[in-house]
Amino acid sequence: MGKVMTMKQAIASHVNDEDLVFIGGYICRTPFAAIHEIIRQKKKDLTITRSNAADDFDMMIGAGIVKRFIGTFLSLGVYGLGRCYRRSIEKGIPRKIEVEEYTNLSLPMMLLAGSMGMPFVPVRDMLGTDLLKIKAFMGEKKYKLIDSPFDGKPTLLVPALNPDIAIIHVQQADEDGNAQIWGIGGDCKVGANAARKVIVSCERIVDRDTIGKDPSRTIVPSFKVAAVIEEPYGAHPGYTPGFYDVDFAFGALYQKASNTLEGFNDFLKEWVFDIEDRTDYIQHYIQTFGYSRFKELQARFDYGYPVSYEY
Amino acid sequence: MHRHPDDYIKPELMACCGAREIKDGDVVIVGTGFPTMAANIAKYTHAPNATLMQESGVFDARPRRPALSVGDPCLNPGAAMIGGLVDIMGMFLQAGWIDVGFLSGSQVDKFGNINTTVIGDYNKPKSRLPGSGGANPIGSLAKKVLIIALHNKKRLAEHVDFITTPGYIDGPGSREKWGLPDDTGPHVIITNKAVMRFDKDTKEAYLATYHPDTSVDEIISLTPWELKVADDVHETEPPREEELKVLREVLDPQRMIRIYEARGYV
Repeated sequence: MGKVMTMKQAIASHVNDEDLVFIGGYICRTPFAAIHEIIRQKKKDLTITRSNAADDFDMMIGAGIVKRFIGTFLSLGVYGLGRCYRRSIEKGIPRKIEVEEYTNLSLPMMLLAGSMGMPFVPVRDMLGTDLLKIKAFMGEKKYKLIDSPFDGKPTLLVPALNPDIAIIHVQQADEDGNAQIWGIGGDCKVGANAARKVIVSCERIVDRDTIGKDPSRTIVPSFKVAAVIEEPYGAHPGYTPGFYDVDFAFGALYQKASNTLEGFNDFLKEWVFDIEDRTDYIQHYIQTFGYSRFKELQARFDYGYPVSYEY
Repeated sequence: MHRHPDDYIKPELMACCGAREIKDGDVVIVGTGFPTMAANIAKYTHAPNATLMQESGVFDARPRRPALSVGDPCLNPGAAMIGGLVDIMGMFLQAGWIDVGFLSGSQVDKFGNINTTVIGDYNKPKSRLPGSGGANPIGSLAKKVLIIALHNKKRLAEHVDFITTPGYIDGPGSREKWGLPDDTGPHVIITNKAVMRFDKDTKEAYLATYHPDTSVDEIISLTPWELKVADDVHETEPPREEELKVLREVLDPQRMIRIYEARGYV
């Protein structure tokens, strides 16, 4: 069975209701094409996780498909607080999600532990703060505070996290799923490798020989990957280094739309529900804003020295 | 002697106050806005060997414009190293390599505890804020934490509604009791009115310097705890000509720093 498929097929086959889903990205390489498809397919009661969540998580929460969030942070960056996140927590609209709160050290370490097959991992943060007083659906399993068996000092243990599925967007992958990135990594590598399987969305599918010219860039090996989707501009309005820039104007559009429930729902209709797939999305973008604005997003090229792995 | 042009805005003064806390050779973890500008002013003036990193995975970036987030695309080309959160927050911060961290928050209290989680009760919030992100680990583990805050009775507090990031927690001995590493913790609170430092014994923030155009009395009246005043309290040194030159000509020619005026840093 080949792994190359459409996003529609990948999400339908590999994302189930109630799954724990890791979604990679850090404004850099946000898998937005996959997120839109998950919303279109109206998956139910997902638990979503990543360090530093942004507009993509806010949108899923606003769309009502999220039950739980294992997170550290959620904001729209320069555009301020996540509007849908606030509506959910403060007013229960469209539903009140449950939040388990960690930090940008502890959560990546939990994913690292998951990726390494370790049951838990000691971390040196959260101590002495109210983050230890709040426990949601993980209850007593959010953390354990012990005296270190080595030096007797207070030591915080946090559990390994093993998502049911990870979804990442990368620059390039081969048809078997060997996935390569460059640029800001966030917790993408540990999150993907902690998951039971991975959906790889990529700017371009390349052949196995191309991967082999620079194998140190590969963050996920083929045997963990269930689906490969070639999805150019798949991270828009986020960016992919070497391909296209952040679309700041679109970020402002989302902020403005999501200020109100009605605006948010109109936005979802226009950019998600009335859109067939990513090709359709790009066409709609160009029709709405013009080709020149689309073209402006494209990255300049500044190639480095090619590397040689020969001996 | 240094020349001090008087056409500066408050955020520029605050950035300079931050810069002056950085020593040559310091390893600094920054976010966006002030911190990056402060750290870079230091780098271009008295601390050429300071190095900067962003939690998202970037070390020694060479951005051609001010970064708007720690994930900004301009941080990629030219950086000395790019990895991920585990590298920066684990291998460098948790392992004790970070000398200086910058933080800000919606609420800061007299012990330098910071709230970025919630205003009001956690379960019935008046306002849900973004959460910790990298703030808690930076506040837990960086050797010197520089806190940026707005100086009024809403943003400063005797006690924050929620401790997201530890300062000196409940006061003397608290960090030690919780097992946070020795010689870490808040170093200074830089506000739009003053610079406050922490008393060695009580761990409480006291007034060290007041910015030009303010007074000790005004600052005491804007501070929600009984603010102690340093014996040698004096006016904050205004931005030096060479600091402003770096800020305006190299780091921020578009003067994006002005957006902080709109946010109340006046």
